[in-house]
Amino acid sequence: MNAIVKYLPLIWSGIWRKPGRTALILLQVAVAFALFGVMQGMKSGVERSVANTRADVLFVGPAESGGAPLPISYLDRIQSIPGMKAVSFADGFLGTYQRPTQFVFVLELPPTDLWLTLVPEIFQVLPKDLEALKNTRNGVLITADIGKKYGWHIGDRIPLTSNTLQSNGSGTWTFQIVGMVTDHEIGEGGFIVGNYNYLNEARALNKDTVRNFYAVISDPKRAAEMSDTVDRVFANSSNETKTASFREGAQQQMRSIGDLNFLIRAVMGTVLVALLFSITTIMMQTIRERTPELAVLKTLGFSDRTVFLMVVGESVLICVAAALLGLALATGVFPYTAKYVPGLSMPLSVVGIGLIGAVLVALITAAPPASRAARLQVVDALAGR
Amino acid sequence: MSLIKQFWALLRVNLAGLPARLGLVCTIIIGVACAVGVLVSMLAMGVGARQEAMGNVSPNRATLTSIDAPSPAQSNITQDAATLIRGLPGIRRNADGKPIVVFQVTVFVQGRGKVDRTQTGFPLIGMTPGLTDYQPELHITAGRMFTPGVHELIASNKCARQYSDFDVGAKRHMRGGDWRVVGNFDLPSTVCLVFADGDTILSAFGRNTYNQANVMLESPATFATLANALKANSSLHLKVQHEAEIFAQDMQQLNGILNFISYFVGSIMALAATIGAANSLYAIVDGRRRELAILRAVGFNSSPIIVSVVLESILLALPGALIGALVAWVLFNGLLASPLGASFHMAVTPSLALLGLGWALCIGAIGGLFPALRAARVPVTAALRAT
Repeated sequence: MNAIVKYLPLIWSGIWRKPGRTALILLQVAVAFALFGVMQGMKSGVERSVANTRADVLFVGPAESGGAPLPISYLDRIQSIPGMKAVSFADGFLGTYQRPTQFVFVLELPPTDLWLTLVPEIFQVLPKDLEALKNTRNGVLITADIGKKYGWHIGDRIPLTSNTLQSNGSGTWTFQIVGMVTDHEIGEGGFIVGNYNYLNEARALNKDTVRNFYAVISDPKRAAEMSDTVDRVFANSSNETKTASFREGAQQQMRSIGDLNFLIRAVMGTVLVALLFSITTIMMQTIRERTPELAVLKTLGFSDRTVFLMVVGESVLICVAAALLGLALATGVFPYTAKYVPGLSMPLSVVGIGLIGAVLVALITAAPPASRAARLQVVDALAGR
Repeated sequence: MSLIKQFWALLRVNLAGLPARLGLVCTIIIGVACAVGVLVSMLAMGVGARQEAMGNVSPNRATLTSIDAPSPAQSNITQDAATLIRGLPGIRRNADGKPIVVFQVTVFVQGRGKVDRTQTGFPLIGMTPGLTDYQPELHITAGRMFTPGVHELIASNKCARQYSDFDVGAKRHMRGGDWRVVGNFDLPSTVCLVFADGDTILSAFGRNTYNQANVMLESPATFATLANALKANSSLHLKVQHEAEIFAQDMQQLNGILNFISYFVGSIMALAATIGAANSLYAIVDGRRRELAILRAVGFNSSPIIVSVVLESILLALPGALIGALVAWVLFNGLLASPLGASFHMAVTPSLALLGLGWALCIGAIGGLFPALRAARVPVTAALRAT
């Protein structure tokens, strides 16, 4: 401890011997670590968002997406499977508002209390809004985004045009806005939530069918087993199902993004090569220029080991400071990238890995110049040889 | 002495001094090579995807979908409309004199990856008879075409490579029982393609409408004829788009994400390379203080000094870019990449290499600018005294 305090001023003045050069090294290392921070943050954000999805909610849909919808009578059969806590369902259709390019997705649900808590990842609804939906047959709840986009307010009546026809052949659906929902979907499209009964009674085709069921199970650990059980119940029927928990679905989606780990490793590997080479040469140059000063230190009695450690100390100090700066920069950038890559985060483990990396970079880059400084012969150095 | 002459003399002096500072020179070259190499490699994904998707586009092909459908998946074409579509003008006729119109219905079914056995969805495309007239470049490499009316399908070789049970003779259990794979084919696309008979898919999957109608035009010019006929017949409620337009829409999202990531990472690495180059050039210029001071003492102007240092920096950056692009080409050109569910061969093209050279030019110019200004400001007396 004493030694560090004693040598710190020397190391400090060594670092700031050429302020411009040190500042540039600092910047270069900081930029590299900022890149590391953003990429790791992306990865841990993705992993965390998968871990946050619910394992105890199963999504039961048709075995082929785009296939025929499921009969509503499945509800009771799913409900009767042992281990099921609650089951609900959803349907929906795509409409356009005023212009054929302004799409509005209408999610149609049975307005039961289950929806207050069922899929908070997708949307959250307050008891009073759900009550309002229950009381108005053609009522809808809107998200704040879509309300702002089209200038809708509670109490407005909105006509939507759709491919889903009513029994009288009309493709125009008129809804009355009765409340709000909070959605957590990414993107600015937005959607509205209406009564399933209204849709089911009014539509011409696909009566008494639903797009999918949501089944809450009592033991999240048995999600895979329960999913298989549901699919087995309907196997070989005219409407086979495909069931997966929300978490499994998220995991599948993440896998399809591709090998994020490979990308991060490849890019960081390249950055590291460039960085190590660059800093080592610059430090070599610095030590070469400082030869007379180092020789004076040795003449005054500094041992080879002390000189070696001093040079390494300078490097470690610069790299660690730069890494912290870079990671801080990365964290500052996160809010701006949320639009493209949601859920970025910087857990302490990433900061830890970053700091360890910084020390390693410092040790590797400092080794050649430091050993040169340590091997320096006083006589030769002072003579300028 | 003219400024140009001064400049040439300076550049020669600069370049002649470089071998003595090999470490610093290599720093610039390696830094630029890494930045350009990563940028070019990452962009090669987007270029490869586009090349493969658009490689087979023909101006003679067009697709009809519902006017209000954001994508073909939401579009509906009824059997009644199908009859009317066959009678529209501007559509080429085949050898038998029938219009080349193929109705398409797409459903998504589950497949298992060959390597990791994980489930992934793939599109099963139902096509009414006439697929070979519409896509003559569809080349069956094994087996035969599917027979209409029976549960048979053909899969692209890309599927056979990526997923299990797509080789000729394999059976797949899907709605309505077992489907037999009777053929494998080659057709340029970034995704796995599986074709079966359109009407068989409709009945097996409980659908009653097609998604889209694919037509072969008499010539690219008859696109307008067809579009006008659709406008005149508004009860059909259909719009027509060039094949290229449909493909470009499909590619938009993938390309947007790939390009964002590529340029984001590429810019940060270029910034690091620029800083590294600046630092090396500062050191190189510092080592040349004496020479520069002498030259200034004998009457050299500062502007040739500035230009010569910046040019030296650019000359050092350019080989870095070439090395970077070359390494990217050796490592990644033709490599099979499969991000975001697509699958395609990466393509390192000459235009990407040129883009890399452009970045190197900027890195060199910006990195060299400040050291050049410093070189031009070396005070004559101080520099001569320095060791």
